[in-house]
Amino acid sequence: MKEEHKHIKAKKYGMVIDLDKCTGCGACMVACMAENNVPFKEDETDKLLSITWLRIYKLTNGKPFPETDICYLPRPCMHCEGQHGHAPCVSVCPATVTDYDMETGIVSQIYTRCFGCRYCMAACPYHARYFNWWDPVWPEGMEKYLNPNVSPRMRGVVEKCSFCFPRYQVAKDKAMAEGRREVEEHEYQTACTQACPAGAITFGDLNNPKHAVYKLKMSPNAFRLLERLGTNPKVYYISSREWVRRSGDNYLANEVKIKKL
Amino acid sequence: MDSALIPVMDDALKPKGVQRCPIWQFALWICIFGAILLWGVYAMFLCWFKGLNQTNMNDAYGFALWIWADLAVIALGGGAFFTGFLRYIIGKDELKNIINYAVLIGFICYSSALLILAIDVGQPLRAWFIFWHANVHSMLTEVAFCLSCYFGVLTIEYIPLVLENRQIDKVPFFHNLAHNMHEIMAIFAATGAFLSFFHQGSLGGVAGVLFGRPFGYREGVLIWPWTFFLFTWSAAACGPCFTIMITKLTEVITGKKLVKQNVIDLLAKISGWMLASYIIAKILDTVYWATVTVPDMGYTLKHFYSNPVYGIWILFLEIVLGGILPAIILITKTGRNNNVTLWIAVVLAVIGVSVNRWVMVLQVMAVPILPFESWYLYLPSWQETATTILPVAYGILLVMLSYRYLPIFPQERELNPID
Amino acid sequence: MKIDRRSFLSLGMGVAAGTALSPLPWKLIDDISIWTQMWPWTPVPEIGEVNYVNSTCTLCPGGCGITVRKIGDRAVKVEGKEGHPINSGGVCLLGLSGLQNLYGYDRRIKTPLKRIGNRGQGSFQKITWDEAISEVVNKLSEVRSTGQAHAVSCISGSDQGTVAQLLKRFLTAYGSPNFFTMPSMQDSYELALYLTQGIQASVAFDVENSDFVLSFGSGIVEGWGSPVRMFQASSRWREGKGKVVQIEPRLSITAAKSDKWIPIKPGTEAALALGLASVIIKESLYDKEFVENYAFGFENWKDDAGKTQIGFKQFVLEGYGPDKVAKITGIDKSTIISLARSFVRASKPLAIGGRNQGRSTSGRLNEFMAIYALNALVGNINKTGGVWSIPKPGYIKWPKVEMDDVAEKGIKEPRIDAAGSASYPYSQYLLNRVPGILNSGQENPIQVLFVAGANPIYALPNTKAVKEAFDKIPYIVGFSSYLDETAKYADIILPNHVYLERYEDIPTPVGFQKPFIGLAKPVIAPQFETKNLGDTIFLLAKGLGGTIEKAFPWDDYETCLKETLSEKWDSLEENGYWIDSSLKPADWKNAFKTASKKFEFIAAGKAKDIASLFGFSSSTLEGDEASYPLVLIPYDSMRLANGFIGDPPFVMKAVEDTVLKGKDVLIEINPETAKQLGMSEGGFAKLATPVGTAKVRVHLYDGIMPGIIALPRGLGHTAYDKFLGGKGVNFNELIGSVEDPVSGLDATWGIRAKLTKA
Ligand SMILES: Nc1nc2c(c(=O)[nH]1)N[C@H]1C(S)=C(S)[C@@H](COP(=O)(O)OP(=O)(O)OC[C@H]3O[C@@H](n4cnc5c(=O)[nH]c(N)nc54)[C@H](O)[C@@H]3O)O[C@H]1N2
Ligand SMILES: Nc1nc2c(c(=O)[nH]1)N[C@H]1C(S)=C(S)[C@@H](COP(=O)(O)OP(=O)(O)OC[C@H]3O[C@@H](n4cnc5c(=O)[nH]c(N)nc54)[C@H](O)[C@@H]3O)O[C@H]1N2
Ligand code: SF4
Ligand code: SF4
Ligand code: SF4
Ligand code: SF4
Ligand code: SF4
Ligand SMILES: [Mo]
Repeated sequence: MKEEHKHIKAKKYGMVIDLDKCTGCGACMVACMAENNVPFKEDETDKLLSITWLRIYKLTNGKPFPETDICYLPRPCMHCEGQHGHAPCVSVCPATVTDYDMETGIVSQIYTRCFGCRYCMAACPYHARYFNWWDPVWPEGMEKYLNPNVSPRMRGVVEKCSFCFPRYQVAKDKAMAEGRREVEEHEYQTACTQACPAGAITFGDLNNPKHAVYKLKMSPNAFRLLERLGTNPKVYYISSREWVRRSGDNYLANEVKIKKL
Repeated sequence: MDSALIPVMDDALKPKGVQRCPIWQFALWICIFGAILLWGVYAMFLCWFKGLNQTNMNDAYGFALWIWADLAVIALGGGAFFTGFLRYIIGKDELKNIINYAVLIGFICYSSALLILAIDVGQPLRAWFIFWHANVHSMLTEVAFCLSCYFGVLTIEYIPLVLENRQIDKVPFFHNLAHNMHEIMAIFAATGAFLSFFHQGSLGGVAGVLFGRPFGYREGVLIWPWTFFLFTWSAAACGPCFTIMITKLTEVITGKKLVKQNVIDLLAKISGWMLASYIIAKILDTVYWATVTVPDMGYTLKHFYSNPVYGIWILFLEIVLGGILPAIILITKTGRNNNVTLWIAVVLAVIGVSVNRWVMVLQVMAVPILPFESWYLYLPSWQETATTILPVAYGILLVMLSYRYLPIFPQERELNPID
Repeated sequence: MKIDRRSFLSLGMGVAAGTALSPLPWKLIDDISIWTQMWPWTPVPEIGEVNYVNSTCTLCPGGCGITVRKIGDRAVKVEGKEGHPINSGGVCLLGLSGLQNLYGYDRRIKTPLKRIGNRGQGSFQKITWDEAISEVVNKLSEVRSTGQAHAVSCISGSDQGTVAQLLKRFLTAYGSPNFFTMPSMQDSYELALYLTQGIQASVAFDVENSDFVLSFGSGIVEGWGSPVRMFQASSRWREGKGKVVQIEPRLSITAAKSDKWIPIKPGTEAALALGLASVIIKESLYDKEFVENYAFGFENWKDDAGKTQIGFKQFVLEGYGPDKVAKITGIDKSTIISLARSFVRASKPLAIGGRNQGRSTSGRLNEFMAIYALNALVGNINKTGGVWSIPKPGYIKWPKVEMDDVAEKGIKEPRIDAAGSASYPYSQYLLNRVPGILNSGQENPIQVLFVAGANPIYALPNTKAVKEAFDKIPYIVGFSSYLDETAKYADIILPNHVYLERYEDIPTPVGFQKPFIGLAKPVIAPQFETKNLGDTIFLLAKGLGGTIEKAFPWDDYETCLKETLSEKWDSLEENGYWIDSSLKPADWKNAFKTASKKFEFIAAGKAKDIASLFGFSSSTLEGDEASYPLVLIPYDSMRLANGFIGDPPFVMKAVEDTVLKGKDVLIEINPETAKQLGMSEGGFAKLATPVGTAKVRVHLYDGIMPGIIALPRGLGHTAYDKFLGGKGVNFNELIGSVEDPVSGLDATWGIRAKLTKA
């Protein structure tokens, strides 16, 4: 173990989201839309046709009043590592549009290469991928706020959370310009992490013991979604509530204790 | 053009020594199916120009009605490769009397499949990226390569048939071309069979490799999930059933015997044994999946059939009614030789394989995976329905034209002498 | 021609090679695919130099520091300002969507407008600033010349900061006392502060240091107080630094985040607070040092006339024992007792009130008094982790307005709402009373109405009555930047810049502990022909001339602002804010300016008796139970702005599908209640209250008390743009205005209702 940490080359960017703190306020969701030029349309109430790279699910414990409990769960792309980078979506894309970057652990998406077969969407168990069913339209004036670091997508292609990869590029360029090889933890933070008013999201290199996520992910209350499928996601959640942790995966009736994989 | 010319031209184009329905009747049916075709074409253009928002697909249902149609049609088109395989590789010579029709049906199925794919993708004009930026890990890459190559093969197999049209054949160039193509057809049939084994399999792999989708996911050997083999197997088993079904349907419609019973019987018998062995494998696969694969992921079999629409009845329909029952009928001589039971068997087999393709693409999408999700249900829009019916109309038209003007059935003259 | 096998094969290969070698097909395919990657209608954002401008968000009273990323001259992203005293980098979704207000051309007012169609229809004609100013000036001169100066009135979002104070000053110089602000919980808090401590100050909550928060329905993480600050406090508590107990009939997000949620019959919160007080007193758990030395009216006392008056102790012990309170509130006696004990056992307990965001209504005074009494019993007044009173930053030191005769006369006229009169001696503004007064009177006490930074037609209870009242006002002048419901009702609009285009001072956010001023700065040049409201006021004053003009001796608003902030300006320009970090709340010896120089439970000399301050009366809900068997309550959500700003598209996009589906709002109902009514998830229903009806859909929610139904605030807009307008129902259309019997402030909360299948 010790040896391994000394020679870290590849980074493994990931996230830890504290569900005890998360209030479901939606700031992360909107920060993402604002940073990444996500389009919007008149009616966004059909959530199966609404592009939200980060979607917030409302979980309930299913108990009647007054034992009811709820918990919000923000879901960006999990940037699944699978086995050796074979994320569910990555290995299926016929045109190598989406790729697992071994340097950062980020699952990329090249919009101009995607031809919209949607196989990747079928493969992703988290519904983290969104298809542009419509041409994106920015009402008059609104095209002025578009971020030039993120290209607006066109109709007919799939998009998803990129862990704000363009921010990594900016940070890396800056580090290079200053003659540094490493991007500092604070230099590369995602838009959702930065915005969260509750400070519920922590982002960093899961391989780097100096980064906050490294310790947080080891919490006994940490879990990942659908670990049992072998997707090997890089987004961790923390909850002090057993029912919430149990909502992260499927269990048979006889599996009383959550199996840690 | 002078309308009086039409019957003359029609006569000149028809093969010699066969009876065809009057031109007005033919024209009427052409118009009816032509109208359906145009409706589909209209819907197709809507999807191309306005985008896939014309469908009822959504982010949970990225594959929908026509992808099922695509898979089903490819499975049913499997009659072409498997009959070709039996005729040219195994040497079942009798099958030369049905191979033309099998090829035609296969050609229709595969061209339809490609057309559907061209409508289905969000950026059709970039679809060739699948070849340019090919990802060797993707089952869909394999599908795309094999599918287009095999479509090429089918086209090559179909062309000589067209060239045998009475008028075309008169041109020496085309006559010789047809002759030469026939000479080397065994090579193409072999290539086609090889390609088909793979792409039918890789279509099975499409769902089978989705380890994020427990309903579709299957373990397997090396890079291939069991569904890879099951799909090839079921296409080989049920494709010929579809060929038989369409042949018999053609016979009913034309009111003529077109293929001798011994040919049908042979194909039916082989299908029967294929189907019987397939369904045993499928049952083993299902049992292993339900008792080992799925519980490991935290699910029970019941979970996947816990919806009023997607109930356990589907599994019964697919395996018992669409598999075991037709297999039993087809492997028994009495079952095959009785016209009614033969009909029942081929129709059930066709339904069985279609249901299999449905569940492997659509039920996969419908099942909730995250514990806090619920079932996703979907109803196709009219545009999707129309574009899915489009290939059916197109197929019927092509069959009508081919039957009328090409010598599809070598035994027709012998079985239906005109005095 | 004869073809043998060789020539056949070579022909085939030739054709294939020929096609492949000819550049045409490849070039064509490539071109076409490139075209699909650069469809001319997909925008390509312009690149440019990146820089950041620090400012302050004004979209809610939160006062968050923001930093706006600019590329060239475009603003591309709003972010929270790192290290800012209020929000230290965090930002809410409304603040993040700020650029959609700036660049949302469909919702903006681009030039001065003059109404041409019917009121509310939204037909306007563009006019120039000169025309607009002279028209309003003429109107004002005319009204003034007929001796009706006091009939010019103004509704402002706030009375704080230079812009609101300039408006108020304008009315003063013109000769009208009729300045109003929109209701908020601060009204009741400040009144309770005045009654108990004798001071005019702002209430502050030292939430960062409290270790036990007893919340009477405050939406701690749903926009209460300064939202981002409260989120950050909540996260500290979740890290184990404090416990939260939430009391409300519905499992709100705050309730779900809290350590304990205690459902309560709606509207009985005050009784619970008194019940807790009775347990604390009976068990002698209160802070004796504070109560015995620094409080007055705890024990019975003798008034000036020598008559014995009942003190707080006897009042609660007799009237609000746990058995009785259990019956009123529906909470177990044992829960009440253990809650009281936990509260006092905590080292820094804090009780807070003001339901949900605490903004749409002022609330009932007795509830705020009872909550204040709880804080007093544990001695956490002006203590670490407690509730503080802090002076408002008194930087506005303009010379006294020189008034002419008309102004002198007008300003002495009684206020329309009777605020400050013998009937409502301690309230400053009672806007909630105005629609009723206008609708019942023959004469029009308001001839001209200014509306600034507020959307009363949407946001005041009983929308229909508000519109009716507005219909009686002959001339309405709007200053809004957006075409909201009230702007649509105006006769003339003199549009303000959007906050990202203007300077403005934003004083201490609700509940913050230190005197603080945030500065909103122009991030980009104005997009349209709008003017800073401050400058518009100067132009109007200039047009009127005389003493009115003289009251505004500044060249422009920016100069006025700089002068007003004087020595604070540098810090404001540099950091975007000014803070007096050294402020500590006054100690108990010096804190209280009451007659007794103590904290007064009984507001001696101000209140009739203790019951009038604290007394709980059941059923303040409009409507009879037989016709309206259910109780409808509102709820607030971060994802629905419900004040003078409406949701921009990004925020609408974040609205859950259990809240809005298509254009239909979903009403929350307990599954048990729904079953009795034969309703199922998503079904349509007709909602009726004594005030209005609406078509809704049903959402079954286990987290709501049976018999209660809840609607979100912030929907049902009829203005703005297609992304917001025409969706859902405005809660204010369904609810009547309820006046607090003591303060006269708006105490509107729930209402009786009926739900039938539609
Ligand atoms: N932090 C914070 N930001 C806000 C708001 C908020 O409540 N808090 N509200 C938002 C809204 S909705 C609006 S409309 C705007 C405008 O909000 P503003 O109108 O700017 O309100 P404040 O910042 O509360 O008030 C500024 C100061 O005016 C002083 N003042 C009060 N009364 C008088 C008086 O009679 N005479 C003089 N000379 N000075 C007086 C007080 O010291 C007070 O602190 O700000 C927006 N931003
Ligand atoms: N005593 C006293 N009374 C006052 C004031 C005072 O200082 N003292 N201030 C006055 C002022 S300035 C005003 S404007 C009024 C308030 O009165 P209103 O005119 O009702 O306006 P706000 O509620 O401030 O409008 C801001 C809007 O932003 C939205 N909002 C706030 N936080 C969030 C959030 O986190 N998420 C989302 N989605 N939306 C949010 C709210 O829905 C809110 O409607 O109160 C006034 N009343
Ligand atoms: S911004 Fe933070 S608190 Fe709000 S929903 Fe996202 S993670 Fe939760
Ligand atoms: S969450 Fe989905 S899209 Fe993201 S890496 Fe995993 S499988 Fe791919
Ligand atoms: S939709 Fe695009 S990214 Fe997804 S699999 Fe197809 S080509 Fe790849
Ligand atoms: S990491 Fe970036 S792209 Fe992903 S959800 Fe957060 S803001 Fe969006
Ligand atoms: S909480 Fe209020 S002030 Fe802060 S960012 Fe949100 S809207 Fe702006
Ligand atoms: Mo305001």
